[in-house]
Amino acid sequence: MAETVTPIEITKRGTLWRIAAIARNAFREAVRDRVLYNLVIFVLLLTAAAIFIGELSGGQERKIIVDLGLSAMLLFGVFIAIFVGVGLVYKEIERRTIYAIFSKPVGRGEFLVGKYLGLCLTLLVNVVVMGLGVSLALVYVSKGWDPLIVTIWPAVLMIYMELMLITALALLFSSFSSPALSALLTFCVFIIGHFSAVLKNLAASLGSTGARWLFGALYYLLPNLANYSFITPAAHGRAPGTMFVLTTALYAVVYITIILSAATLVFSRRNFK
Amino acid sequence: MNRQTLFLSLILIAGLGVTILLARTIDAHRPAPDPNAIDESLYLTPTTARRMSLGFNGLAADWYWMRSLQYVGRKIISVPEDVPIDDLGQLNLKLLAPMLDTATTLDPNFLDPYEYAAVVLPAIDVEQAIRITAKGIEANPTAWRLYHQLGYIHWQLKDYKTASEIYRRGAEIPGAPPWMTAMTAKMAADGGSRTTGREIYTHMFEQSADEKVKDMARRRLIQLDSLDQRDGLRKLLTGYETRVGRCPATWREIQHLLRAVSAPVDRMGSPLDPTGAPYQLQAGKCEVDLDPKSEVLR
Repeated sequence: MAETVTPIEITKRGTLWRIAAIARNAFREAVRDRVLYNLVIFVLLLTAAAIFIGELSGGQERKIIVDLGLSAMLLFGVFIAIFVGVGLVYKEIERRTIYAIFSKPVGRGEFLVGKYLGLCLTLLVNVVVMGLGVSLALVYVSKGWDPLIVTIWPAVLMIYMELMLITALALLFSSFSSPALSALLTFCVFIIGHFSAVLKNLAASLGSTGARWLFGALYYLLPNLANYSFITPAAHGRAPGTMFVLTTALYAVVYITIILSAATLVFSRRNFK
Repeated sequence: MNRQTLFLSLILIAGLGVTILLARTIDAHRPAPDPNAIDESLYLTPTTARRMSLGFNGLAADWYWMRSLQYVGRKIISVPEDVPIDDLGQLNLKLLAPMLDTATTLDPNFLDPYEYAAVVLPAIDVEQAIRITAKGIEANPTAWRLYHQLGYIHWQLKDYKTASEIYRRGAEIPGAPPWMTAMTAKMAADGGSRTTGREIYTHMFEQSADEKVKDMARRRLIQLDSLDQRDGLRKLLTGYETRVGRCPATWREIQHLLRAVSAPVDRMGSPLDPTGAPYQLQAGKCEVDLDPKSEVLR
């Protein structure tokens, strides 16, 4: 049962408590919206792959299970991050519940960060369950313990960091545009983010100084999502180094901070009175 | 259950039944597929495929790998006779090299497509086989198995000097088995001998994870055993001719000689090849042939 708290108590309890309360509600809402049902499709996909892939893969079922499992984890995660992410703010506005929220002592930034963390929690549950699913499928195809069961987890962490970045982007776009446009823009950034190497090469190879600057700027401004692509090495039993993971985690934290700050800045200017 | 629910349920069931009937009618009247359509060129170059994979390159590589296996499988099934995996030149597998190339560009550390290319492609396009295997070595400099595969291609081309050099480079890799060093010397000194061939196929049989490759290596080993057996039988026949002044008319005439070398024989006294088929004696000649139905000829 939901806790009843007066506005005075809300003010007293501090920012972290308010963010946590919004995050908890965002998570509950995602569960109520049956977002986690995608896990059923994932499990069915993995089960079918584990049973049938041996016939088709020429003895490569372990690699294919990891590739398929982690790719599905990324793909499902991206869809959740985009389609749930763009609706986080919009739904509150459409249902007019946002007026009730902002009539209480809740800041715009707190609201956005809370919503963001709520969806991140949903995605965390999703990737952890999927990671366990891949591990179980590996146990099945290897008929026992498999070293890949351990080496996939750093790749799962990298996928989660990528999903956190995409969620932040979806939230940023949804703070100033319609859900459809936000979804499109986020998806475009997801694609461009995986083409970072091309942008860098373009910047280096173009003759015009203006174009070089433009592509160079795009390379540094847009999130380099290719940094988080560790699925293929994971399928070969290779894990990223600790330093690499820490650097990419720091990059994600800095980038998410920038995006959420920008989103708060845009959202603060919107009139909900 | 009210009337409306019953009516709608009936429509649902009947509709599905009609759909199945229609699908079967359409299938029966569908024009036969163009046999050349399967060999249409791949639309994407390997580099474009990698660029467009958006971080799903491992999965895309798996897809190209499985597609190449299905492609070869379908072609093998389409011919009535059993074709060994290293002699698929007659099957017009022109898409195999691009598929394996794409799979290995998408995932350069995926070793099985390189090994498959080294075994299957030489009979189709030896230059592509060398290029893809060499690409594998460049991407996986510590994978000594790829040196073994590249050496095997050059050995098949009777380029023993290059094969020896490749085995030498492979033998220098930490973790490479000692027989890679032995192969370096064998290739240089005695590349064309059966002993070298036996070594190559024995190691291929032991190292490969692919059942088709294992089967191919096993067949080649059987063929080498049969060649050795036939040489031994010819020696017996020539010895008999020297002593008696003529070649034997039947195997029964040299039963005592066959028993002396412990050669396995059937009820008729004919010596048996490694697959259990009787060798045939060419009447009036001191020459031995394989039975046309022998598995050695497969």
